Amino acid sequence: MRRYYEILDRANRGPYLTEEQWDLEKVAMTTRHLVEKYKLSWNPSCILPRDGALADAVFEAGMELAESLGVYCRDTKRVIEFDPQELEAGLRRMPQTLTMGEGKDQRTFFVRGIEDGRPPLIWSGNAGAPIPERYYLEYVMVYAQEPIVDLLNPGSLTTVDGFEVRTGGPMEIAACRREMEYMRIGAKRVGRPGMPILAAASAVSALGDVAVAHPDYMRPCDAHLVPMLNELKMDNGNLARAVNAIEYGVRNASLPCVSVGGLGGDAPGSAVVNVASFVLSNLVCLSDFHICHPIHIRHVATSTRAVMWVESIVGQAFARNAPCIMVSDIFPKSGAMTRELLYETAANAIVNTLSAAHLEGPAAADGAAPNCSGLEARLMGEVGHAVARQRMTLEEGNAIVLALLEKYEHIFARREGNPGLPLDQVYNLETLRPIPEWQSMYEGVVGELREMGLEGLPVP
Amino acid sequence: MNDEQELLRRLRQAVIDGSKERSVAEARAAIEAGIDPLTLLNEGLVDGADEIGAAFQEGKIFLPELMLSGIALKAAMAIVTPLIKDRNLPGQRAVSGTVVIATIQTDVHDIGKNLVASMLSAAGFTVHDLGVDVPLNTIIGKASEVDADIIACSALLTTSMPYMRDLVGVLEATGLRERFKVMVGGASITPALAEEMRADGTADDAIGAVALARKLLRERRG
Repeated sequence: MRRYYEILDRANRGPYLTEEQWDLEKVAMTTRHLVEKYKLSWNPSCILPRDGALADAVFEAGMELAESLGVYCRDTKRVIEFDPQELEAGLRRMPQTLTMGEGKDQRTFFVRGIEDGRPPLIWSGNAGAPIPERYYLEYVMVYAQEPIVDLLNPGSLTTVDGFEVRTGGPMEIAACRREMEYMRIGAKRVGRPGMPILAAASAVSALGDVAVAHPDYMRPCDAHLVPMLNELKMDNGNLARAVNAIEYGVRNASLPCVSVGGLGGDAPGSAVVNVASFVLSNLVCLSDFHICHPIHIRHVATSTRAVMWVESIVGQAFARNAPCIMVSDIFPKSGAMTRELLYETAANAIVNTLSAAHLEGPAAADGAAPNCSGLEARLMGEVGHAVARQRMTLEEGNAIVLALLEKYEHIFARREGNPGLPLDQVYNLETLRPIPEWQSMYEGVVGELREMGLEGLPVP
Repeated sequence: MNDEQELLRRLRQAVIDGSKERSVAEARAAIEAGIDPLTLLNEGLVDGADEIGAAFQEGKIFLPELMLSGIALKAAMAIVTPLIKDRNLPGQRAVSGTVVIATIQTDVHDIGKNLVASMLSAAGFTVHDLGVDVPLNTIIGKASEVDADIIACSALLTTSMPYMRDLVGVLEATGLRERFKVMVGGASITPALAEEMRADGTADDAIGAVALARKLLRERRG
């Protein structure tokens, strides 16, 4: 504990910089230099590269970035610096297994490898998306009832008893507690009371996170987010989340949402920033595991070529150089009741499964609307399991992903996106079953995927 | 290519390359060569800015290049605009509007806000970026202090969006609403939501934000 306090102290005493200096002079310029130094490049037709030297170079460049920069504290405008030995020690302390949840519903995360034959764990929900209070419980149950789903991810409540919730306001406490009540009740109602939960999505400030640190809400056997800000930044609120977890014991998930096309530049530089973020988050977020969630600067979605390449190369870089538990996010552009949502989910699940990660999502419609359902979560899990069990190779996976991109990439040119329909229009919320049209669309896409080479997929 | 065209091309290229030193030097060289400052503005700086904005939109360049171009443009504008100030010529494409931009209080997400700020700078606006988690009164205070044309604010979090509605409410309550145009943005903001907040508009992306800012500026200045 004292060790972490000492790191917090550096946020008050480190070198002073303006945020503009940090962004441009430090992050952007250093990353640009490292991309040139390590001769990093990518091919948009090769989303799943088999190139150990490239993965190693991305890792080495990320380590160098972490060493030369450290982490910027936005509140104090000071840099939390680390020496190489500290960064190495941080990598060594990363758990290799991690148990979450309770009783028969308990799951144990493990470190996956590249082309690993062991199926990934499936962590599902429309992460953080605003979910109407009137069907929040049903929202939980449509995911929890899917046998292939191992862990749950909540959406956000924007009202409680009809009253507006505001970030950092007193109602955030009520929202987070209500959200966790729904999560626990929903899991119990489908006979899986011990399911692990990534709590709490309504905790957009540290206030909500602290408010649920009680066994009735977020249990010590659950996980919570300790986000890093773009890029390589923390603030007091997020540092407080880590402090709160020290004694309480909940698992810390680092979440740096590196912007692909942002300060790191194109995909290779963004991958370097992502590696550095994970390396530093071991120390500033006290990470037990990492959530890999690069976002596209213009399209947001993780199913773009550049973002999937980053997810793959970062996963491979860590698998080869510093094995740790990695959970890679799937945030498709499209929403429920669209074929593209299923194609995006499948492509992203193939990439992440082959690249040493467990799967989290799909947060449909960019996670910005309740346009989601349990069906795409089922598909994500089925694809992940099929890829592992049929021992798909990177090359085979790449061929299918390129074919899937042909089927959905057009949506990124649409100004209006491809939002689909909300949960209450694609599921019967009394029976908790998809409407026939959505079920039929899912079955059609599963058939297509089987023909494309995912023969391990179950016949619907 | 004659000398004037060559000087304009070099100024444009300096902006596109994001070189502050070169853009300043090329602007000075062009002025010394007797090129009309308005031509410099339109065919050198603004054309360069438009080209860099389009390249970003097409994924050919990335945020650092956009930011550097904004800095280069700003430095050259500081030399050129005083020479045409108050001329208010009909052919003037460039805008010299002032924008106060911020991520609204309680929200710390700034990718979109930074992108819009960079694009507005690159388009010739004077941009005061107040950062993230900025209290309403700070935004309004800064806008009053610099006599801004536009207040632009964003929220990614759904639960931070109500503060943007509050911003408009405070402007109305304090009699300042007519003084500023208000743009709102964020992943979940739709035109309907912007209207509901009684803002003056929203845009799908940074390019759209620049177009909206130009439109609002024209409306404000009649």
